[in-house]
Amino acid sequence: MCTPIGYNKNANSDIMLKKAENILSKIPSADYADVRIVDQSSEDVATKDGVVEALESSQSLGYNVRILKDGVWGFAASFDLSEKGIDETIKKALAIVKASTAHKTSNVQLDELEPIIDSYKTPIKEDPFQVPMEEKIKILLAADNAQKVSDKIAVTQASYQANRERKYFVSSIGSKIDQDIVWTGAGTDTTAVDGPELQNRSYPNSFRGQNQTRGFELVRELELEKHAPKYAQEAVELLTADTCPTGEFDIILDGNQLALQIHESCGHAVELDRVLGYEASYAGTSFLTTEKLFNFQYGSDIVNLTADATIPGGLGTFGYDDEGVPAQRTYLVKEGKFQDYITSRDTVSKLHDLNPNYNKKSNGTVRASSWSRLPMIRMTNINLEPGGEAGTGKAWSLDEMIADTKYGIFMSTNRSWSIDDRRYNFQFGTEIAWEIKDGKLGRMLKNPTYQGITPQFWNSCDAICGRPEWTVWGTPNCGKGQPSQVMYTGHGASPARFKKVKVGVVKW
Amino acid sequence: MLGEEKLKQIAQKALSFSNAYQAEVLLSVSGNALTRFANNQIHQNVAWKNLGISARVIIDKKIGVASTNAFDNESLKDVIARATELANLQEPDPGFVSLPKPQKIIKVSDDIHHATEEEMAAGAHIVIKKAQKENLIASGAYANDVSELAVANSLGVWAHHAGSSCNLSTIVLGKDSSGFAADVARTPSEVNAELVAETAVQKTLESKNPQDIEPGEYEVILEPQAVSEMMAFFQWYGPNARIYHEGASPLSGKMGTQVFGKNITIIDDPFHESVFPMPFDFEGQPKKAITFIKNGVLENIAYDSYHALKYHQKNTGHALPAPNTMGPIPLHMYIAAGDKTRDAMINNVKRGLLVTRLWYVRVLNPKMLNVTGMTRDATFLIENGKIIRPVKNLRFNQSIPEALNNVVGIENKLTPLASFEGEMISLAPTLHISKWEFSSATLF
Repeated sequence: MCTPIGYNKNANSDIMLKKAENILSKIPSADYADVRIVDQSSEDVATKDGVVEALESSQSLGYNVRILKDGVWGFAASFDLSEKGIDETIKKALAIVKASTAHKTSNVQLDELEPIIDSYKTPIKEDPFQVPMEEKIKILLAADNAQKVSDKIAVTQASYQANRERKYFVSSIGSKIDQDIVWTGAGTDTTAVDGPELQNRSYPNSFRGQNQTRGFELVRELELEKHAPKYAQEAVELLTADTCPTGEFDIILDGNQLALQIHESCGHAVELDRVLGYEASYAGTSFLTTEKLFNFQYGSDIVNLTADATIPGGLGTFGYDDEGVPAQRTYLVKEGKFQDYITSRDTVSKLHDLNPNYNKKSNGTVRASSWSRLPMIRMTNINLEPGGEAGTGKAWSLDEMIADTKYGIFMSTNRSWSIDDRRYNFQFGTEIAWEIKDGKLGRMLKNPTYQGITPQFWNSCDAICGRPEWTVWGTPNCGKGQPSQVMYTGHGASPARFKKVKVGVVKW
Repeated sequence: MLGEEKLKQIAQKALSFSNAYQAEVLLSVSGNALTRFANNQIHQNVAWKNLGISARVIIDKKIGVASTNAFDNESLKDVIARATELANLQEPDPGFVSLPKPQKIIKVSDDIHHATEEEMAAGAHIVIKKAQKENLIASGAYANDVSELAVANSLGVWAHHAGSSCNLSTIVLGKDSSGFAADVARTPSEVNAELVAETAVQKTLESKNPQDIEPGEYEVILEPQAVSEMMAFFQWYGPNARIYHEGASPLSGKMGTQVFGKNITIIDDPFHESVFPMPFDFEGQPKKAITFIKNGVLENIAYDSYHALKYHQKNTGHALPAPNTMGPIPLHMYIAAGDKTRDAMINNVKRGLLVTRLWYVRVLNPKMLNVTGMTRDATFLIENGKIIRPVKNLRFNQSIPEALNNVVGIENKLTPLASFEGEMISLAPTLHISKWEFSSATLF
């Protein structure tokens, strides 16, 4: 008899926290130390052409110790929770401290943090791991079959994924936190092919659909089978649609595309570790250097961007970050002005030195993708606040916005993305677009792309839809760091309009 | 590391818990360390070890996969039971025929080298010192990956391999310039940190004060790192049986026809003298050298057991771990060397760009395999065969098949390139391509 999928045999919080405390107690004198035990479960189902192509359940349990001593960090992680294994892991972390100390030029400082003893659990209505697998397969196969609307359909796909992270955190300042974080996602993806032409349509979003820190209720609300035929039909229609024109036009970005625009051109750009050069060896740096804080006009005065790890259902929502700092809501850009970074306890201390006007503590954005990875600054939910809610602009509806556009292109659902290593020059492609003429949505357009420079682009934003059209989209595939870490992040967005953007930049 | 005999016992024990029609287990043991530096000092220094077992169970063409990271009896029983339970809940896959049978595998000696924390810190320090001497800022990573992989199935497949790699890479930053360099080797003593430092520092100095340049169509000299980055998506969307048979590959339906210039030969060789050998795939099937493109003609594509049996083709040993929704992907693919030196190719450029690296390359349309991306870490203008000046970075939108039809020069040697993580080396020559479309510029 196997254990039920998603069942956590080590789920007793008291036992696991005691285990973490035991590990912490073995660490010799240090400036600071913390221990994280993480137990991860996931299940993935993927169908293709009416067949369940992947049906997988995964579990991984391990821990890490993070030691700050003599001004440098040491980090070691292992699956081995035996006393011998723990001793070896601590010994390794201390050896790493010693090696790093030999070449240090400055000391790591941490900002102050009060000890916290607490628990957090993602509020879910229906535990995805308790829903019978037969039912999940049935939902996906129905959604897969519903995509077969034409003989031009080459590939039909549907997917579902659920993840549970049990985290047990203790630190030398006396914090003791356990968290049970659950996130779920699902979607469909249709490929239509005709000769050399290939087009895709996804519902409700590309790259594995919509993902949120919610339970199976999200999958039920998506009604994949009901919506799949419409999107499959659009994939077929795109095969013969006109190519998106080339020129400088006003564009309206749908919320699911704007989510990735925010992710790439704002979310990564405000990571303070990037700004300080810590990611220079791989992902790059950021144009939002520290002297720009409080005075740089990042966007137009209706642009308000926040980092908010407290939004119910957001994929970047949690109780505490992996340094034990409470989840928070922070304005990154207020009325167009650059206001803040997403920070950690050590980077924020550096920022205090670099910009004496900055006096805030860590805003709690440090997470690791697994027990084997070093916690680092990651996006939480990085959001473009709904129009009309942050003191500037008005709450448009999408219909009003289209009616107010003389000529423009309305683009939906990301297809490609790329941005330079300082987050200036970006180019995005979407699955589909429609021409707007004299305030009316017109012909469907294939292969839409647009390109810009980040601050110029956000300064051209002149209308943002209000809360009724605002959704927190999940981006479960954010890569960063060496060794690489894939993190789940969220982006609240509603459709917004941008003036005179370079469109149709690719020759097809 | 646990060693072949111990892993074989664990695999057999796990398979003994299965009563299914067929079963397969994939076992891994790994020890990794990475010393990362930025702003001329070590800032992240980590080590981790793990093990894993993934079980694939087949019941009447119904397939379930489960994994865990423990090898005790209870966990082995549980992972097989979970995979079996999933298989029982599955619908039959009519395309599935069988797990593969045992085949003769070339034995490659285990080759494991652990780098110490001190060795890795010392490598980082060599780069930092060189950068500091020129008032530059060094960032980078020194990784040591040690891994053991084994595959067994109920038809008698057994395959085991252990290996390791040391990989030092750096990006050195100047006020308005940067330079990249890397080296990969089996042992710490073989990693040439001095050369890595020298190359990156030199590139940074040569690329300072970059000038604006108009986007447009240029001849390009792509250095090996850029060629490797260009070809990454071709590896995935090109000779991949799944995508090929879906009709979604740029090569679909073109077997036996001229797809690229006659000077282009593309080979996948897991035993090339300059790579770390990989004797088998993730189904325990033997790997061997295979030519995909010969003198521009498509001759072969990559198959795993599923697609080989489904499409009545020969398995080429390109399986990835189950469940694999991406299809079989070649991991040791390279463009065969030509007959030119790098300098001779630069001499042949009338007006073009020398590109060190590409960055954030993404596919716009897999069927046409046109991609977008940026240049990064030192780009130069060439005029009349001479490097004139550094230029600011540009965005490109380029069809890869078109580029491979416009290659006018191929370097006479292949450069080994690190994969950044894991025991993997890719090979690439410098290429001279007559047309490359740059669509916009950035600000640095």
